[in-house]
Amino acid sequence: MGKTVKIVLAGEGGQGVQSVAQIIAEAADEEGKQVLYIPNFGVEQRGGVSVAYVQIGDGPIGSPKFEKGDIVVALSDRAVQRTGRYVGPKTAFLYDSSIPVEKGDLPGDAGEILPIPAIDTAKKELHPRVFNILILGAVLGATGVVPVDRARLAIEKKLGYKFEKDPKLRDLNFRAMDRGMELVKKMAGQRNGDTPSLFANNKQII
Amino acid sequence: MEKPIQEERKAFLTGNEVVAWAALVAGAEFMYGYPITPQNEIMHYWTRLAPRYKRGFLQTEDELSAGFTTIGGVMGGKKAFTATAGPGNTLMQEPLSMAEMMRLPVVVVVQQRGGPSTATVIYSQQEVTLTTMGGNGEGLRIVYSTSSHQELFDYTIKAFNTAWRYRFPTFVLGDGYQAKMREPLTLYDPEARGVAMVGTEPFVGKEGVPGIERPPAQHRNTFSLEEELYEKVKTDAGDYEKIAPSVAEYSSKYTEDADLVILSHGVVFRAVAEAVGSLREHGFKVGFFRPVTLRPMPVGPAREMAQKAKKILIAESALGQLARLFKEAAFGAQAEIHTLFKPGMGITAEEVEEKARELLQ
Repeated sequence: MGKTVKIVLAGEGGQGVQSVAQIIAEAADEEGKQVLYIPNFGVEQRGGVSVAYVQIGDGPIGSPKFEKGDIVVALSDRAVQRTGRYVGPKTAFLYDSSIPVEKGDLPGDAGEILPIPAIDTAKKELHPRVFNILILGAVLGATGVVPVDRARLAIEKKLGYKFEKDPKLRDLNFRAMDRGMELVKKMAGQRNGDTPSLFANNKQII
Repeated sequence: MEKPIQEERKAFLTGNEVVAWAALVAGAEFMYGYPITPQNEIMHYWTRLAPRYKRGFLQTEDELSAGFTTIGGVMGGKKAFTATAGPGNTLMQEPLSMAEMMRLPVVVVVQQRGGPSTATVIYSQQEVTLTTMGGNGEGLRIVYSTSSHQELFDYTIKAFNTAWRYRFPTFVLGDGYQAKMREPLTLYDPEARGVAMVGTEPFVGKEGVPGIERPPAQHRNTFSLEEELYEKVKTDAGDYEKIAPSVAEYSSKYTEDADLVILSHGVVFRAVAEAVGSLREHGFKVGFFRPVTLRPMPVGPAREMAQKAKKILIAESALGQLARLFKEAAFGAQAEIHTLFKPGMGITAEEVEEKARELLQ
């Protein structure tokens, strides 16, 4: 990995964006990468939009916050509004396709805009509870920042105690991650032919 | 006592967890504290770890009390510390001023939040003036400003040694970002790395008859005569001046041929280091200078840098608190001084780079 990959995840409190960020960060740390993860916090944390900033690279990581993300994920309409400022011409902007957005709401200068039917897919094919793990899969599918096996281990570490009680959950979570990866690849592929342009300058990706 | 860390190991923690671990391996025996964001988790982790290693914790009714009980712990010969932020730091200046007067080795970790007053619970570098010069005195204290979790660990350990070696209140100045972010670091036992921990001794309740079997101890913060106070402050200030050159720390790079030197401290240094790296790659003659100790300032090196540099850019998440310290240290130097002041706001590498490019054109 050459440059530092910058990720912004935003959603409503309870959607699990901090858990996703933490799993990605832990997996990257285990992989021996330099990682910096910071949640937003403060008054807005209670009932507001929850934002997670993750940076992963080989060299030392600079400031905890940054101007533009390589990938920005918004999981609610308020999150779409809130994260627009982190989107630039080199950013892939992922949002849940069930969010009712007007054209003007989406960041105009995004390198790529990818609506992902994450909420629907989780509800219909899996279980609403694994929605965030599906998002995790989408982020991994889009960036390749950590190998899938490593992400599985990180999920196991975080949720293992739940899997002990109900082993079906393990399979459900891993399927959700795979499904998320498929969705983002399909969506990116549809828009750009076989190789999504947003990943073209990042050779290791997909 | 069982060592909390037997063998060096990698960890991926928040800054607040790092501080708790560092205090533990430094042999801190007692933490006194009162909750305030963003330092709460120092207390939380400490209270979780402390019983396992027979260390103590007392939650007081406010920061005044947390400061005074820390003083009490230290006077009883315990390696004691506290942690606070923002308005808590303001309140704590009263007991810390007493610690300064009585030359007590209290250790305080500050995780800066926005100011003035309650402001934000998030982040700032606005507690520099308060932490370096707070209280009705002369700022006879030592302040380390950290910029990474490894430094937070290293300097929290070091703060205990500095405090007990020199008997001046010693601070580790972090901020809300450092408190809440997670990044990798190596945890270690200082003695396993050859860092000897300075021993403690009680200030009061010593054995023997004072004046006969041992020198009498006199610990006061009240003086009747102005001459007496004058002599006391002059003596302490003299001691401080004597140790300052060996306590002061800084880091700098590429300053020798620089057209522009960027000055910063703490977490903002991360953005500056990144920006300078990127600007150098593009052929710009840019360097950085970063005081690690804000009090005492690395006066000699700061002045030398300011005499050589054509332009200096000072970047901080405050409205010139670092700039004031620096200008005093570099008084008389000819360099043009420019600023990137963002009180209570994070500063990114991109902004620093943009500002530097402007100045170099």
